[in-house]
Amino acid sequence: MQKILIVEDDEKLRNELETFLNNNGYQAEALKKFDNTIQDIVRINPNLLLLDVNLPNADGEYICKQIRKQSNMPIIIVTSRDNEIDELLSLNYGADQYITKPFNLQILLAKIASLLRRTNIGINAQDKIACKEFVLNTDKSTIERDGKEIELTKNEFRILKYLVQNRDRIVSREEIMECLWDNENFIDDNTLTVNVTRLRNKLEELELKELIQTKRGQGYIYCN
Amino acid sequence: MRFKDFLRDKLLTISLLLFGLITIEIFLAIYPIGNFIKFYIPIILLVLYLIGIVIEYLSKRKFYENVFHTLDELDEKYLINELIKTPNFIEGKLLRNVLEQTNKAMLEKVNQYKYLQEDYKEYIELWIHEIKTPIAASKMVIENNKNAITKSINEELDKIEDYTEQVLFYARSNTVEKDYYIKKSNLREIVNECVKKNKNILIQEKISINIHDLDVSVNTDSKWIVFILNQLIQNSVKYRKEENYSEIEMYTESGKENVILYVKDNGIGIRKGEITRVFEKGFTGTNGRLSNKKSTGIGLYLCKKLCDKLGVAIELNSIQGEGTEVRLVFPQGSYTTLENK
Repeated sequence: MQKILIVEDDEKLRNELETFLNNNGYQAEALKKFDNTIQDIVRINPNLLLLDVNLPNADGEYICKQIRKQSNMPIIIVTSRDNEIDELLSLNYGADQYITKPFNLQILLAKIASLLRRTNIGINAQDKIACKEFVLNTDKSTIERDGKEIELTKNEFRILKYLVQNRDRIVSREEIMECLWDNENFIDDNTLTVNVTRLRNKLEELELKELIQTKRGQGYIYCN
Repeated sequence: MRFKDFLRDKLLTISLLLFGLITIEIFLAIYPIGNFIKFYIPIILLVLYLIGIVIEYLSKRKFYENVFHTLDELDEKYLINELIKTPNFIEGKLLRNVLEQTNKAMLEKVNQYKYLQEDYKEYIELWIHEIKTPIAASKMVIENNKNAITKSINEELDKIEDYTEQVLFYARSNTVEKDYYIKKSNLREIVNECVKKNKNILIQEKISINIHDLDVSVNTDSKWIVFILNQLIQNSVKYRKEENYSEIEMYTESGKENVILYVKDNGIGIRKGEITRVFEKGFTGTNGRLSNKKSTGIGLYLCKKLCDKLGVAIELNSIQGEGTEVRLVFPQGSYTTLENK
């Protein structure tokens, strides 16, 4: 599992981030003291570092610079300053990504995933999602069952992936739409219905019936 | 400065001189002296005095004409003192001296307010950065505890976030120095970011997003444009027709000298007579007075102000009952294109 270190002085935000990342398949850890931040970070040596800019004792940009001297770990700078110049500066200090508070969590996850993918070539942890009945190939956007493979469109794939990730829970239409919107597919309600219908048809081709059930007025549920 | 006025100023010395001459003439008339002397003395005195007076007049006229001329040409008239030469007569020197001192005093006063304002702006920016951490923390709590209640709190948090953003840009819009950073920015990325930012309310209110022809890059500060677009989208959401299908359309048209970004909605529109006033500060209009619209009259005012600073033209067209169209015109030409050398 990928280890993510959170360096953030706001206690609540730190704890919630930890919970959130743990819920999303990472092993999150957070620094609680900031006396020896640089040494602590190097000692823990995470796969990825989430670094707040405003810290007691030393500021994030300095830490970033110091760590770059010793390590190549991916660093995402978290800041509340949001102008172009600050962004440029922190990239200059050696950060790989920059995200502003209050952040869109899906975007945070996407940035983490893409950074980890780039820096851990060979591990490819997220390439396949195996479910009981089928396998989702993230890189090819296909669904596989008993050697039979069917291509899904971008939207269909995302919908299925989201439902699988939230299995055994009713997922509202709004939630699915938000997930797609985060990926810059600004579909409307009707398009979602069409997409879900097509997805069901494709699943039926693989003889997977009634995997996605409609809950009237509430949304969809994926259960097996 | 007319000669007549100048002479009037010299009235006292002239009358004293004439009085002196008359007494001299009376004395000369009593003593037996030749006529030549009797005429020579007053004439030579008068002529010499006249020459003196004319020279003085010419030099003063030159100086003051120069002062007034420079004053006319100056945009910032208080700089006059830096531009006039030190004259060779005492009143002129005094005038310069007085100007210098009053200018200095005024500059100090102005600076005092400038520092106060900068101070305030810095505080506001600091405050906004501080408030973002609790907002982020609250959003994390909500994300980890998703349900109908937290969802509703999340919507309110979005509003708080937007209002804080507005404060930040308001503070920025009032400063003299440049606070922006121009670079090549892709309009699709900017539009996408704005739509994502407003996804909660847009999905909730079932507003369709229709975007096309956006793969254009312009030279601008993308953060500012995101803010401006955000205001426009929020307006479109706020002033939609509740009973109808709502749509926001965004696209660009590239001309020879510019790129125009259109933001169109099919909302309630703006009354004809009020269109010209929508960019005024505090103007809310008929729509703003509708129940539960909570119009502040700040959004479009800020958009206009920020656009002016960025050199982007903002134009608004609307038909009441049919919708509103806002155009952002980005200049694009040899003059504004950054060249890679």
